[in-house]
Amino acid sequence: MSAAVFAKTLSDSRRSLIGWAVGTALVGMVYASTYPSQRQNTESIPEALRESLHVDGTAAGYLQATVFGVIVPLLAMIYGVAMGSRAIASDEESGQLDLLLAHPITRTRFALQRFGALVAGAFGIAALVWLAVLAVRSSAELTSVTPVELLAQCLNLALLAITFGALALGIGAAVGRRAVVLVVSAIAGVLAYTASTFATQIGADWLAYLSPFHYYIGGEPLKNGFQWGDGAVLVIASAVFVVAGVVRFNNRDVNS
Amino acid sequence: MENVIELRELTKTYGTRRGLTGLTLDVVRGEVFGFLGPNGAGKSTTIRLLLDLIRPTAGSATVLGLDPRGEGVELRRRVGYLAGDFVCDGRQNVRSYLRFLAALRGGVPEARIDDLADRLGLDQTAKIKKLSKGNRQKVGLVQAFMHTPEVLILDEPTSGLDPLVQQTFLDMVAEAAAGGQTVFMSSHIMSEVEAVAHRVGIIRDGRLVALDTVANLRTGTVRDVEVTFETSVPATAFADLPGASRLSLDETGTTLSGQVAGSPDALIKALSRYTVTSLRATEPALEELFHSYYEGAEAAPRTESARIA
Ligand SMILES: Nc1ncnc2c1ncn2[C@@H]1O[C@H](COP(=O)(O)OP(=O)(O)OP(=O)(O)O)[C@@H](O)[C@H]1O
Ligand SMILES: [Mg+2]
Repeated sequence: MSAAVFAKTLSDSRRSLIGWAVGTALVGMVYASTYPSQRQNTESIPEALRESLHVDGTAAGYLQATVFGVIVPLLAMIYGVAMGSRAIASDEESGQLDLLLAHPITRTRFALQRFGALVAGAFGIAALVWLAVLAVRSSAELTSVTPVELLAQCLNLALLAITFGALALGIGAAVGRRAVVLVVSAIAGVLAYTASTFATQIGADWLAYLSPFHYYIGGEPLKNGFQWGDGAVLVIASAVFVVAGVVRFNNRDVNS
Repeated sequence: MENVIELRELTKTYGTRRGLTGLTLDVVRGEVFGFLGPNGAGKSTTIRLLLDLIRPTAGSATVLGLDPRGEGVELRRRVGYLAGDFVCDGRQNVRSYLRFLAALRGGVPEARIDDLADRLGLDQTAKIKKLSKGNRQKVGLVQAFMHTPEVLILDEPTSGLDPLVQQTFLDMVAEAAAGGQTVFMSSHIMSEVEAVAHRVGIIRDGRLVALDTVANLRTGTVRDVEVTFETSVPATAFADLPGASRLSLDETGTTLSGQVAGSPDALIKALSRYTVTSLRATEPALEELFHSYYEGAEAAPRTESARIA
């Protein structure tokens, strides 16, 4: 079985992938290393106020609210959507898909190899983030979070990127239009974040269960370690997106 | 003779737009088949159906006895394809891109790629993005020919090529056919296909309007004739000659000019009764026959889109 498409996709995207991974890891590292000064700020807030604001002053609470709560997952999701939209829709719009699919490869295998490259990249980014945060773990006084707990959160980070990548790839496979992919994925991203963050406030807890974000961080891997059930939900969601997209891909015309 | 391509009532509609309507056609092993037709006739539609890039609305197509949908991998392994508007990833150089395409086919001897590139005058170290249109087309030709496929399916292969390279390409096609490969190529221009094709099919508005060998098509074509006689001949002398309805005598009755369709035999025999001082006849122009098929097609796409709008 030839993995030419997988290898080519990775090697073509290596520059942007490395750049994106290094950038994401650096952002995570910088945020993580400001924990000591943030903690002093938090400690100056009176205990009662802190509780009413749900401010968690522990290292895990800090990482969860900042590093792994907003910026790093956002960058990971952007990576997923970018790779996912490029997997099929971009090549189809530029006309390159015509040439590739005129080769002895099934559409399914083509899509899966593209998805494989996306998955590999997502794990690469997550691994680099893990190493970067580990590097500042003791200097930033984050030792109350174990490396394994960090790893558990980074695994979920990869799965989150993969879920959004699968969504983008699936839509691209189904409709072949990049603009549709980007608009739908962006809307899905915003909804996912809002649903998971504000579900409790608006009194609709069940809403959170629809959001990939909830399965990414809701189980608090930084405190509780690996959350296999949550991970499985993200894996299954990704599989559903990819399979649905590929089924449609197999049954439609390739646009010239 | 074994059919390499078989189309049966092949039909494709794009929503309400006509693509192809009931095309039935056979291409036999080892032949070069010229597939001609005006813009929007359905040439690219036919070709993309063969490679399973698009799916027929009705009818069927097979290549090498294989179903494009169900046995697409095997089919495409044995076919070389050049798209009408060949596009490829421009970010790398020619050599590494061709190597990648070869890997998709499980590998192609490096020497074969080098040979083809050298022959077409393609610089493999250049970045694809920076190539001119014609040179990019050469990349498309190399990838279609490099694995010496049993069938070559080429959509307007000469577009963008200069006359010298066009000649090289025609030589490559002739050699491929001599080596047993089958070539199915589309074009707008008869003269280009005429030189290498054994048979020609002309499609218009999604249906086949002519299908014959190049030799037979030639015999059905028209040639310009001009004959002068020593003395004037009767006005009715050539009036009811078969195929000569477009011949006319001048007032003096000494010059006969006009066109003869098909074989000039009847004219020659009729001429023998008089003293001829000069005779001029042109080569039969396939191009003209071809234009007669093209005329009337031009309006078709317009009226169709007007109806939709
Ligand atoms: N994706 C599509 N959507 C809608 N209509 C299409 C599509 N592709 C082709 N058509 C229509 O099908 C008809 C045949 O098009 P096709 O591209 O096969 O013509 P062609 O013979 O290759 O023309 P050309 O010589 O210009 O390349 C045209 O009327 C065209 O408008
Ligand atoms: Mg065309």
